[in-house]
Amino acid sequence: MFYRIAGQYKTSYGADYALFPIKQDAWLLALILVFAFVVFPLTASDFMFRALLIPVLIYALAALGLNILTGYAGQLSLGTGAFMGVGAYACYKLITIFPEMNIIGAIVLSGFFSAAAGVAFGLPSLRIKGFYLAIATLAAQFFLLWLFQKWAWLYNYNASGAIQVPNTQLFGVTITGAQAPVLAQYFFVLITVCILTAFAINITRGRIGRTWKAVRDMDIAAELVGINLMKAKLSAFFVSSYIVGIAGALFVFLWRGAAEADLFDIQLSFRVLFIAIIGGLGSILGNYLGALLIVALPVIIGTVPAAVGLPISSAMVEHLNTMIIGALIIGFLILEPHGLARLWALMREKLIIWPFPH
Amino acid sequence: MNARPDHSVLADQEGSARDDLLMDVRNVSLSFGGVKAITDISFDVRQGEIRAIIGPNGAGKTSMLNVINGFYTPQVGTITFRGVERRSMKPHDAVRQGIARTFQNVALFKGMSTLDNIMAGRSVLMKRNIVWQMLWRGPALREEIEHREKVEEIIDFLEIEHIRRTPVGKLPYGLQKRVELGRALAMEPSLLLLDEPMAGMNLEEKEDMSRFILDVNQQRGTTIALIEHDMGVVMDLSDRVVVLDYGKKIADGPPDEVKNSQAVIDAYLGVPH
Amino acid sequence: MSYLHSIFVAPFADMADAPDFFLQVVWEGLVSGVLYALIALGFVLIYKSSRIFNFAQGIMVVFAALTLVGLHENGVPALLAVPLTLLVMFVLAVGIERAVLRPLVNQPDIILFMATIGITLFLIGLGETIFGGANKVMITEQLGIPTGSWVVEPFGGFVSVEQKDVTAVVGAVLLVIALLVFLNKSKMGRAIRALGDDHQAALSVGISLSTIWVLVWFISGIIALATGIVWGARAGVSFALEVIALKALPVLMLGGLESVTGAIVGGLAIGILEKVFEIYWGQPLLGGNTEAWFAYMLALLVLLVRPQGLFGEKIIERV
Repeated sequence: MFYRIAGQYKTSYGADYALFPIKQDAWLLALILVFAFVVFPLTASDFMFRALLIPVLIYALAALGLNILTGYAGQLSLGTGAFMGVGAYACYKLITIFPEMNIIGAIVLSGFFSAAAGVAFGLPSLRIKGFYLAIATLAAQFFLLWLFQKWAWLYNYNASGAIQVPNTQLFGVTITGAQAPVLAQYFFVLITVCILTAFAINITRGRIGRTWKAVRDMDIAAELVGINLMKAKLSAFFVSSYIVGIAGALFVFLWRGAAEADLFDIQLSFRVLFIAIIGGLGSILGNYLGALLIVALPVIIGTVPAAVGLPISSAMVEHLNTMIIGALIIGFLILEPHGLARLWALMREKLIIWPFPH
Repeated sequence: MNARPDHSVLADQEGSARDDLLMDVRNVSLSFGGVKAITDISFDVRQGEIRAIIGPNGAGKTSMLNVINGFYTPQVGTITFRGVERRSMKPHDAVRQGIARTFQNVALFKGMSTLDNIMAGRSVLMKRNIVWQMLWRGPALREEIEHREKVEEIIDFLEIEHIRRTPVGKLPYGLQKRVELGRALAMEPSLLLLDEPMAGMNLEEKEDMSRFILDVNQQRGTTIALIEHDMGVVMDLSDRVVVLDYGKKIADGPPDEVKNSQAVIDAYLGVPH
Repeated sequence: MSYLHSIFVAPFADMADAPDFFLQVVWEGLVSGVLYALIALGFVLIYKSSRIFNFAQGIMVVFAALTLVGLHENGVPALLAVPLTLLVMFVLAVGIERAVLRPLVNQPDIILFMATIGITLFLIGLGETIFGGANKVMITEQLGIPTGSWVVEPFGGFVSVEQKDVTAVVGAVLLVIALLVFLNKSKMGRAIRALGDDHQAALSVGISLSTIWVLVWFISGIIALATGIVWGARAGVSFALEVIALKALPVLMLGGLESVTGAIVGGLAIGILEKVFEIYWGQPLLGGNTEAWFAYMLALLVLLVRPQGLFGEKIIERV
């Protein structure tokens, strides 16, 4: 009844390419944006920002990057964590070498470093396929992590081996560093994520996105319809790693505030992969739903049992969390291999015909 | 990089025997680790004709198509296409030069819609770079719409409007074959290779497909080389037929002539060599 | 120039100068290699019989070891804890077959692979919930594994050989022999191999897929327990083992996903080479800890030359 599409005709192909051919979708997005830009900033507590909103956005962005590579172009990657690290360390070096550099510039540039690393480790994909390719990304994961630990120049020879985010300002407001107000950081992350998401939507629905999906669905056929496999795969590695690198820079600069090499270990790669799987491979929306679930789950496990009088230790929260995520992954693969995004799509279809189910 | 090279000048220099020659296959042999798939085959394809390649199972027909569009590289022999002689090329270069094909076992992109599959066929013809794609404004959007119009023409032509948005993995086999033809047409080929376009179809579907093939040939002027097992269809559709058996050419000529050739009858009846 | 010397000459000179030390390094590498090979072996079995890229093989090692130690901590005598752990691994195999494999039959490979990642996570969480996340000590002595060490004296130097390492190597060899006999001589073993060659054909001669899957996962569980015991004896039992267990992946890539020989040779080769590289190149030139990535980079380089691995068969693409 509320999702009625009857009467919404399109009279040109241009109109069919509107982001939301159905106007209820646009309304829904507008509502979410109002919450993100107005309601949350007015109501949410610092804890909400730090424990939920900011990490959800950053994880969603990282998963979006991975999803472009794995969900759209079909190239499995287990090295997301390390590529996030490249973005973070690049941003750190840029900011400390050129202290007068604008933080936006540093973040935009840092993505190119991770993109270059992604392309370098993506080169084997031209010869190696499927699971065998996973080894290339694992090599990236372990080699880069080792580099973060051993190459002292990367962390400016700090005795701790960790990088400490310096204070930077944007339009007179402190954006990064210990004194930065969380609201400013939230807006910075939100806007970055919105812009990159818009770009990702556009790329994935156009020519380049189609070549990626073609390579994913059947690479031989893709080659035989004239798609240059090398360009398609490497562009997927480039775009994916760029976004992942930005997510890494945000991860450290706008959220953690400090980082050591171990932060970017394989567990991080897996966490991002789980978000992409649970959210739905080959979907943009799914990354947000998946990130929300993965970030919120430990918070829920930590607070709900306590609220009903069953306090459990924080270690136990973590253990249960791991177990539940594992079960969720299996459950999703069995019930709905396309993840939360597909569940929403099914629900939306039901809504469109509701209340007349035929 | 996406522009199609103009070979007309070269073609003149080459001085081919007939001026309506589109492709000339000369002495091609192909083997896999000692197993011979094709032995010393020569034939030509003329501009605007429907050329059939027939033969019993395992005769090397599909291997021949794979050689023509660059998927396999023959050990011996050359292929002259629009006056340019070559032995091997990357398949995507073959597409750029105007060779498109369909496959024996449907090779569509199963996760994508009909529309996207056919649009993917136009990838080579689209040029806007990633920055425009990212912004989805101006040139990129114009290009997308321009190609969408071409694709919608093909969709109309093949009468598949109703499945435009359906993921092709969910379509019945006959329709998948049709979508695959659409994807090949979207490449605007000068030579269209069809690998058993009617395999597994019922009579009605075969009739539809025959009509589409003839229309493509006549209305769009596309030269077609096809592999098909249904002799009735082959004899009705094709202008000339080449017959392969055990990787060798055993007959070549108009359908009626080939039909009465003793070698062909023997091959199909399984007379020992 | 001196840099080139330190890369291409000095390490070999060091090896020649102290051959006993070199032997010690190779021995240490060999023992790790045996463990990599064992994990890879469990993996190959599952891949051969069901085309599942079983990411959980590593965590099954940890889970088996944890169960064993956990049972012992709760008062079960060591020699009773082993069969009980095997029982747990059997129940696990049945559970995985029922809850994961059966519902996902005929799904694309990537989905099954992701499902095994889910199994991995579930097992980690389950293990931690039951046994706690703290490190544990393997009950080496209680199981009757000797813990002393022998000193061998080749070339006038000396090499120290831990008896539990020798036990590990001997145990692994026996396990592999038993496995090969089983695969080649028994009816079930031949069925498993047949399944690897052709699913349809194997089914058509009346072999129940579920039985075989349970069996294969159980065998992998046995291998996991054996690996867990010897590895735990060397390094303690904790979930950090999981990261080490990931090294089975480059071993597999190197050996080819389907080759038992490949798994063994690949495992030993990677174990020895990474140790030698670490001692003679990694520590003097690169700041050490190169074992973290050496195996992956090596596998990657080999794959670039031979995309099907050292022992895999060349794939001819068709359309």
